[in-house]
Amino acid sequence: MEISEEIREAKDILQNLIKAKKNIRMYPENNPIYIRTLEDAYARFTGYLDYRDEFKLQIRQHSICHETEEIYSNPEKEDNLALFFFKDGLRELTFKKGLTRDELEEFLKIIAREFEREEIDDDVVTLLWERDFQNIHYVVDEAFLVDIDEEDYETRAERQVKEQATDVNELMKAYTDGFQEDDRQEISVVPLSDKDLQMLVRELEKDSAGKLEKLISILFELVYLSERQAEVNETFQFIRDAISLCIRHGDLVLVGQIMRRARDIMEEPSLKESGKDYYRILSQHLGQQEVVGHLAEILDSTLEIDPQVYEEFIGFLDKNAIRPLIQYLGELKTVRARKHVIDALIVLGKKDIESIAKGLEDQKWYLVRNIIYILRKIADRRATEYLLRTVRHSDIRVRKEGIKALGELGGQEVIQTLRECLDDADPEIRMAAARSFGTIGTEVAKKIILEKISNKTFREKDFEEKKAFYEILARWKDQTVFDFLMTALRKKTFFGRARNEENRACAAFALGLLGMNDALPELHAVKESGSDFLKDFVHAAIRKLEHDR
Amino acid sequence: MIDREEKETFRSAQDIINQLSVILRNAQIHNPWNIAVTTAIEKFIALISHLTTGGKTITLELIGEYFYCDDVRVRYSLEHLLNFDYLVREFKKREIGGIVILDGIKLQDVQVFLKAFIASGFSTSPYETIYEMMSDVEKIRVDMLKKIKDGEQEDTRKIIKKVYYNAVSFSRGVMKKIKAGEKVSIRKAKRIVEQMVDHLLEEENLLIGMTAIKDYDEYTYHHSVNVSILSVALGQRLGLNKKMLTELGLVALFHDIGKIDIPSEILNKASSFTEDEWKLMKRHPVWGVRALLKLKGFDQTAIRSSIVAFEHHMSFDLTGYPRVRRYSELDLYSRIVSVVDQYDAMTSARVYSRIPLAPDKALSIMMERAGKQLDPLLFKFFTNMVGIFPIGALVMLDTRELGLVYESDLVFPDRPRIMIIVDHKGERLTKGPVVSLTEKDESGNYYRSVVRTLDPNKYKINLAEYLI
Repeated sequence: MEISEEIREAKDILQNLIKAKKNIRMYPENNPIYIRTLEDAYARFTGYLDYRDEFKLQIRQHSICHETEEIYSNPEKEDNLALFFFKDGLRELTFKKGLTRDELEEFLKIIAREFEREEIDDDVVTLLWERDFQNIHYVVDEAFLVDIDEEDYETRAERQVKEQATDVNELMKAYTDGFQEDDRQEISVVPLSDKDLQMLVRELEKDSAGKLEKLISILFELVYLSERQAEVNETFQFIRDAISLCIRHGDLVLVGQIMRRARDIMEEPSLKESGKDYYRILSQHLGQQEVVGHLAEILDSTLEIDPQVYEEFIGFLDKNAIRPLIQYLGELKTVRARKHVIDALIVLGKKDIESIAKGLEDQKWYLVRNIIYILRKIADRRATEYLLRTVRHSDIRVRKEGIKALGELGGQEVIQTLRECLDDADPEIRMAAARSFGTIGTEVAKKIILEKISNKTFREKDFEEKKAFYEILARWKDQTVFDFLMTALRKKTFFGRARNEENRACAAFALGLLGMNDALPELHAVKESGSDFLKDFVHAAIRKLEHDR
Repeated sequence: MIDREEKETFRSAQDIINQLSVILRNAQIHNPWNIAVTTAIEKFIALISHLTTGGKTITLELIGEYFYCDDVRVRYSLEHLLNFDYLVREFKKREIGGIVILDGIKLQDVQVFLKAFIASGFSTSPYETIYEMMSDVEKIRVDMLKKIKDGEQEDTRKIIKKVYYNAVSFSRGVMKKIKAGEKVSIRKAKRIVEQMVDHLLEEENLLIGMTAIKDYDEYTYHHSVNVSILSVALGQRLGLNKKMLTELGLVALFHDIGKIDIPSEILNKASSFTEDEWKLMKRHPVWGVRALLKLKGFDQTAIRSSIVAFEHHMSFDLTGYPRVRRYSELDLYSRIVSVVDQYDAMTSARVYSRIPLAPDKALSIMMERAGKQLDPLLFKFFTNMVGIFPIGALVMLDTRELGLVYESDLVFPDRPRIMIIVDHKGERLTKGPVVSLTEKDESGNYYRSVVRTLDPNKYKINLAEYLI
């Protein structure tokens, strides 16, 4: 049998609809495939509706008909467009002439949703109903809303309400009393005024605010209203859920409110000691992997975060947040997010250095470097034993950070390791170690640096490295260093003159930094002699000393 | 493009109706040639003209309580509420069912229409007056108000009955399922409420009428549905959109869900509660929150439902129960549900003093509570909705007829439609005629007026016999 042109077109539209359902689900709105799919679907609909008033589909469980002709059939349960509509009670769909692109797009977005997988309380019919399309009409069979065993409920209820027939005598008594009795209640309907409407508008505006805060207040009231321990436990479970929701919505202000109220509860006499436990439970909930995951998403987003709110939030976290925070620190994309997590870990790390130090074992060099930074900021010497290992890390950036941290921590334990670093093959490591000795600033540290500079091999180093060492030495503003520098400045040699000039330049530079004016006569004496290279440094030192005088 | 034009028309219809109302209000103060009126007319013509160019017409029709523009119902925003109500009232008063405006309408055409409109307000046969005075105006045609056909009304009534009983049956199912620890389909609940919203938007009176039938099955089931219906109806008056109405209907449906934990022998007890039983009853708002959060987790509907379940007995001044420590004010939906909950509870058997009150008596008690237990603003909207004589009220008419209030009138709250159950000769009518108290005789006097109300419960009148 020859298929009419209309049926062919109808089949074509339907096939296109099935394709569009998938594409609209898979691609974002700005994707070319999404745009092309929509254009294509719209072109087919308008092509059909240019010559007809409507495109009507009758929906059955496993098939879809157009003009009594079956144009779609599918016996399967999965990916069945007919069943997709049918199960929600949809029995007829009509697209009217005048269908707009926006309407079609909205319609496609509705059918593209995965109702079985998504946690939504709406079905297809509800979403169609909410959109109130002008040009997409539908017919629904509401019978499925009634449970099978309740099908005759209407009949039963109606029979029941009519059972007690009105007594004619009572009715006649009412009629008679109607002429005598005067119990009319004096009530009047006051017409609505503009003022009433203005008040209502204000109420509606007020009502548009989020409701979670209100529910949280109720949950805390529920704690006080609880009569049994089990009720308190259950309520705190709800409060935990509320915290999760707040975090998902990025509402740290509300989390702060919850935690503050929970802290108040610790003082509640009826809860006795358990008040503290409940607070701890909530605090630990904030550190759960899933919750921290949501927090990480917020931090990585463009959402504005009030620094004070965040600071308070960190204060509510417990040690258990450390591990997931470290994990997400290695995954965050933005500098801002990483900074926020680092700030949190610095605070939390003070309670548990060991957990923070576990992050040093990570494979990602940048995460290890961040952990070293965190340990450095925590400034607790218990971190030394973990940091000592970092100077042997395969990545130089990590090593440098570790050396820096050791320098800041100081102490007898770090000296040997840093000393070894001064002999490292990499000049950057040697300089980093020297800087750390400078940071340590003890006599021992000074002695080590002096030894290094005095060593015969030192003059063979690159000028930049030598200059760095001298600069570090200048941090000890004492006579020993002054004398050492003066000796170096005066030193003249026949052999290796260029290298010696470099050393003298470094000494001049360091004398400038040292800030002792006693060096000026010697510097003036040297300024007209030697190489231009040396002269430049001597002039600079003189300028500095005279300027600072 | 056609679709764009249609959309434009739909948007403009609101403005047109609003502007027509402005013109008519102005014309009742000034004459149609006054500058204030002519400026308003010019604005009206400007709104109309781009929709009628090219020989097109535009039809504004009054059906029931709503205006339709070219067969599409015009929904109005809150800011237009008073003007819309005014126009409905003035059209009904003059028996005008609609006006058709043709392309090329002029200032003079509108001025003649205004003159005729005002004159018809003083006429005993207003429609004829306006029709006659406008015989020379070609660009405006005025149509007479259509009476809704009885057959259509009957069909709608059947559908609405089904919707109502489906909802009660669902409410019953929900309670049973929760008790049995089974899953409750919120999707179904939404669909049920959506149906109610649709019918309330189209035929408010019929569904509200169903709430007056109370004495069957367990009170909690139909009470939940009644509160849902009345809340949506009130929400509609407050200008809530369809989505908000559904949300409101849903939270109202679940407001008493905490009662599932109360033993049925207490819930359905025939006598008054003991102190301990009252104490138990007063726990249901707290249990409601727990039940809803366990049922749904923390989604938008569960949050809002929990709030209403907790607050609906707390009272506007927070003196009710549960007693709270730190609280600001009640949620809007809670205040709406509080009003309708009290009304439905008072007019039902088996609660409070166990004697149901007549609807008007309940309203008068509630009036005393407005500002204390109830939000005074919402109560004002509520009384405007149910009228002085709510559906189910038993009334004696000045025609020596006894009747039941069958439907309220949006425009004339003191003139509802009445079903006559005893005629002027004192004879009982099993299914008497339904008459409107707005009907007038030739000299402009009302045919019928209420002289007093009686308590239908006192005479054990079964409303269901008459209302369904």
